[in-house]
Amino acid sequence: MHINRELKRLRWFLIAPALILFTCFTALPGVRALIYSFQKWDGFTEPEWVGLQNFQALLADDLFILALKNNVILMVAGGAITLCLALLFASTIHRGMRGAGVFRVAFFFPNILAAVAIAILWQQMYSTTDFGIINAIWMQIQQALPSVFLKKGEIPSPFPFTDSSHLIWSIVPMLIWTATGFYMVLFLAAMQSIPEEYYEAATIDGASPRQQFWHITFPLIREVFIVGIVFFIISSAKFFDAVWVMEAELPNKNSHVMTTVLYQKVFHEYNVGYAAAIAVVLFVLVFIATLITLNFSRKDTLEY
Amino acid sequence: MSRAISHCILPTYVQSVYNTIMFRYVFSIFLSFSIILVLAFYSDAIHRINDTAQEIKVVEVAIFKGAFGIEWHQQMAEQFNRENKHRNIKIELWGDPKLANILKPRLLRGNPPDLILDERLPLWLLIAADKLLPLNAPLAEPALGFEQQKWADRYSPGMLNMFKSNGNVYAVPAAFGAWTCWYNASLYKAKGWEIPKTWDEYIDLCEKIKQSGMVPIALQGKNSYFYAWSTYITLVQRIGGVEAINRINALEPNSFSHPDALKAAQVFQNLVANYYQPGALAMTHTEAQLQFIQGNTAMIFCGVWLENEMRETIPADFELRSFDIPGSPEWKGNDKMVHGQGMEFLFVPKAAKHPGIAFEFARYLVSPQHAPGMSRSIGAISPLREVNSPENFSPAIASVVDIVNDSSGAFNVRPYMLFPAWKSQVMDAAIQDLCRGTLTPEEFARTLDDGIAHEVATAERAIPDAVLLNPSDYGELHAH
Repeated sequence: MHINRELKRLRWFLIAPALILFTCFTALPGVRALIYSFQKWDGFTEPEWVGLQNFQALLADDLFILALKNNVILMVAGGAITLCLALLFASTIHRGMRGAGVFRVAFFFPNILAAVAIAILWQQMYSTTDFGIINAIWMQIQQALPSVFLKKGEIPSPFPFTDSSHLIWSIVPMLIWTATGFYMVLFLAAMQSIPEEYYEAATIDGASPRQQFWHITFPLIREVFIVGIVFFIISSAKFFDAVWVMEAELPNKNSHVMTTVLYQKVFHEYNVGYAAAIAVVLFVLVFIATLITLNFSRKDTLEY
Repeated sequence: MSRAISHCILPTYVQSVYNTIMFRYVFSIFLSFSIILVLAFYSDAIHRINDTAQEIKVVEVAIFKGAFGIEWHQQMAEQFNRENKHRNIKIELWGDPKLANILKPRLLRGNPPDLILDERLPLWLLIAADKLLPLNAPLAEPALGFEQQKWADRYSPGMLNMFKSNGNVYAVPAAFGAWTCWYNASLYKAKGWEIPKTWDEYIDLCEKIKQSGMVPIALQGKNSYFYAWSTYITLVQRIGGVEAINRINALEPNSFSHPDALKAAQVFQNLVANYYQPGALAMTHTEAQLQFIQGNTAMIFCGVWLENEMRETIPADFELRSFDIPGSPEWKGNDKMVHGQGMEFLFVPKAAKHPGIAFEFARYLVSPQHAPGMSRSIGAISPLREVNSPENFSPAIASVVDIVNDSSGAFNVRPYMLFPAWKSQVMDAAIQDLCRGTLTPEEFARTLDDGIAHEVATAERAIPDAVLLNPSDYGELHAH
């Protein structure tokens, strides 16, 4: 009895630091943000209670809808390609490709870089000055095939990848480059836990590598794949750094994502209540998307 | 010792956890940090007690660390401290490039520095929220180094208008910024290119540059809301005169759709389409400026901070010079007017602990006595009258000083200061769209006008009256 009580106290003793930090830095600010979302506040004067006015304004705000659309582009275009590539690379490495260790490290490498450093790196690669390697290649292509890419009398010119009007689509390759390694390692870990006997039996039965992938590998890592989708939804909804860096801290209607609108509302327009409403909507959207995705994963779970 | 502590204060189960090597290691580190923290707090407390015992008034001054740096300001603070040692006054001056972001929570908590230099903070919002002190009292004091006149009277005309409300001046500029066109004089000499006197000559020059295989103009496209906008506004004045500027500042409906402002948008769009560097809209301001410095373009529109900002990259044989954006005899505006304004604004929060000393230091910093030193040290043009001698500046800034000294006056527009949401949601995207040709000049003007009308209609606080310029004072005729 005494030991049980002591163990209970020990549990609280061990959990207390994390609980205190979570309460102070996540739960309480979250509740405060929820309260702000029902207020009109510029950050300097007394807040005024306005009920659901911020949420009503948000739903009619073209800027927020455009930002949401940009988040969906990153989520769908970036997510689809990233997860497919990660699956392909993980599967290839799992089946014993030569130099697998090198590829694993090379693909995972972008994950150890800071998000801002990655954004600056890609900004330089996209640069329309002599520094930009991608535009240097593009100019060479224009010179080599003028009849295809240039109008009469036109001279080769760089493409403004990081111009606000193209920025979101230009971020997709960066996102893929950055994220593929992480998901590849996630899927690879799941693949490596599949018993080898399944593949041996399938090989004896004459199954091709492609059949083995679709009938053994993918069904058995499906849950991890769903977790990957959830991770991607959350990270795409919270996407901020690259847009902020590449837009020199002032995105506009062409390049905003939800978090940059949130930042702009607080720190450029001093509309804290409205920004808090965005944060609440962002939370709800991510929560719903995660619930739906997890709901899929609970169906037909295979155990081995 | 730590083992003894554990025996005394910890229960049995915790002791067993403690006795593991890892936990002991972590606990020792934690204990060491705690001791260091306690000592740090203690020494800080002793320091504060000492300051209090001697009744030293520590005045905190926060400076935006931009192209002008903060070294000169720090020298001034040290000099002020030395001169006022007997009064037990101590200026503690610091700076940061992200000053506005650092200070926002402090302003909110009511614990701001005593004196702030950074107009990137929402000054109009702070004025409306009664968070700033008026500077009328120090402005009525004698100017340091020119005691016969009040500090206010030493300011060049119009310099105190930007943050004036109900007769009170809430922020004073520490420098003057002029918007001009920069070029490399040695390149122009070598190529035989002349400085244009009229807009037609300017376009001819652009053509000559283009024919020589160079790109005429670089644009800081990522910061169009400032760099492209400023050139467009200069053209509004050149084409429509100060009346066009007055219409914008008075927030008159359809002021951007007025034929003069519309023509400025057309002229600017043609300039961008024909003579700006391809891909410029994807360039940051430093990238574009480097293109100019490296000789990939022949001109760039910029403020006076260009030389300071690009100092490390300017080659020895590069003669950086400036000329004012020309007008045309067919246009209404006086082309001797400079698109310029006060910049590096100083203000004192209402919650300042030592407002009197803050006022005094502001007057010390922006004084006829110290203006030549500021010019020599950081190349900033003073907003005060008769203190900007070209010999105090580098040849590059001296060329701007010549323009300013030769000018009939200065003008600027204010909606982007009044309406942060209009600036970030409407103006920035609209000027970029005008540059890339996805908006016609008419659509551009309509977008700006609709945005202003929305801001005026939904304004929750009284909008301060504009200080309007009289066209006849600048040799311009009233439109009929």
